[in-house]
Formats: sequence, structure tokens, C-alpha cells
Amino acid sequence: MKEVVIDSLGEACPIPLVKAQNAMKEMEIGDVLIVQIDHSCAMKNLPEWARKEGHNVEIEEVDDAEWEVIIEKAK
Amino acid sequence: MSDTTNTNSSGSISTTRRRSSRPRKPKKNMIPIGLAVALVFVIIGILLAQRSAMLGFFWMTGIAFGFVLQRARFCFTASMRDPYLTGGTSLTRAVLIAFALTTIGFAAIKYGYFAKGLPIPGMSYVVPISLATIVGAFMFGIGMVIAGGCASGTLMRVGEGFMMQVLALVFFVVGSLWGAHDFEFWKYFFISKGKAVFLPDVFGWTGAVFVQLLLIAVLYVVALKWEQKKSNE
Repeated sequence: MKEVVIDSLGEACPIPLVKAQNAMKEMEIGDVLIVQIDHSCAMKNLPEWARKEGHNVEIEEVDDAEWEVIIEKAK
Repeated sequence: MSDTTNTNSSGSISTTRRRSSRPRKPKKNMIPIGLAVALVFVIIGILLAQRSAMLGFFWMTGIAFGFVLQRARFCFTASMRDPYLTGGTSLTRAVLIAFALTTIGFAAIKYGYFAKGLPIPGMSYVVPISLATIVGAFMFGIGMVIAGGCASGTLMRVGEGFMMQVLALVFFVVGSLWGAHDFEFWKYFFISKGKAVFLPDVFGWTGAVFVQLLLIAVLYVVALKWEQKKSNE
């Protein structure tokens, strides 16, 4: 089981999502991806995409307007 | 707080609550700041309304619009981009619903003026459509995806304090001014070559509303089917 962290702070909306999508392709089932974001728009589409794909998602507000989206690859 | 380092290999994540990889700072209480800002908004609103009622009205509607945009994470860029990127069309459908509501609202306003024999407001926005519309829309689409937001989205995220989009805002202003400066050229050589269509002239008032709502409904169904198709892949 592996843990991948993507630092996407300061990057605008589609970039965190595309980075996460690419990282997920390389990962095994059970691996965990942590995406650090501070763009409110990515807060919506990143979890929405991951949940739709069937992964387990958790969101944590680490700081004011800084979030970590934690995705466990489920399939 | 230290059990989530990369060396951690203890079993399933879904059952144990994960903790952040960084220590969490204690949260500041934002409510006093919020109340203070609301008070400033109201004071500015009153001052503006004393100069001109319209200015005060614009101030309030602007703030209300920004608040809705921010809290709803409503994003016109995402509504056009996410169907392709994530297969999700929730925002696309939200925009379509907004279009349907404004169709009814604007038709009612315009018909109200028309029925009284007054000049219909907003007719200067009925502009010719041509190839220029398609090319322009395509360029705007590329721009808004790179900039991370359309006009309203950029403004909203500047308000959120997202630095990259302060830069986008600067060039948004530069581009708008440049466009306005050369607008006569574009209008003369490209825009005026097209044909302006005002739907009530073609279908009648009821027909125009009906045709437009029908088109929006078709797009809504397509968006819904697209999301279902994408999530089954």
C-alpha cells in the first residue's frame, strides 16, 4: 500500500483534477492519493469525479481555504 | 498526527479515519469578521443609495450574485468543461435550469413593455450571429479553461484570495479594454456581416418561449444521458 501526495496548491481548477486522474492511473487498488488544493472549484469537481469513479473520498480543510482531498483507489 | 507518513502500512484506510499529512492550525473564529464586513457593505450601500438609488441597487445585487456564485460553487467554465473532463454534468444542468428561468423572466419583462407599446428593453443585445460568434466563443472557451474561470468565476475567486486569478483579472481587464478599443473594426468587418435574430419575430412570443424551453429541455436530457453513460464506463 502506497501513499501519493500531489501538491496542487496555487493551481487553478482543472489542473488538480487532471493531475489526480493521471496519478490514479498509475496506482494500485488500496493505494491512497492525497491532493492538496486551495482552489475552491477543485473542491467540487475532484471529489465529484472520484466518487463517480467509485473511490472512497474524504475532504479535510487543513487551513483557511486549503484542503486535502484524500482518495482511496477502490477499483 | 504522525501515523500517516509514507512508511505507514497498516491495513485498510476506509475503516480508520485518516488524518492530514500536515499539522492543523487552530481555526480562527470568522464570525466577527463576517459581521464587520456585512456592516461595511450595508453602510456603503446606504451611502451609494443616497447618491443614486440605482447604484445602491447594483451594489446589493452584485454582492448577492457573488455570494450565490461562491457558496454554490457555480462555475460556467466547469459547466462546459466537466462533461468532457469528469463526465459529470450537474453544473451543466444547473446552468440550463438558470437559462430556462431567465428565458421565462426576460420574456415576461420584454412582453410587458411590448404589450404596452413601449420600446422593448435590452434590444441592443440582439446582435448578429455569424461565424465570428463561433470563433469568438471557441477562443473564449480556451481562455477560460486556462485562466481557471470565466468573467464571473475569475472575479469570485479574486474575492476568495486566489492569487493566480488576480493575474487573470489584470489581463481580463487589459483584454476587455483592447477589445473595446478595436470593437468598431470588428463590428464593421465581421459582426455586421451576420444576421440578427430576435426569436419572437420569428415564432411569435409564445412560440419563442416554447422553442427556447424545448431546446433547453433537450440539452438537459442529453446532459443527463451523458452523465449516466459516462459513469457506466
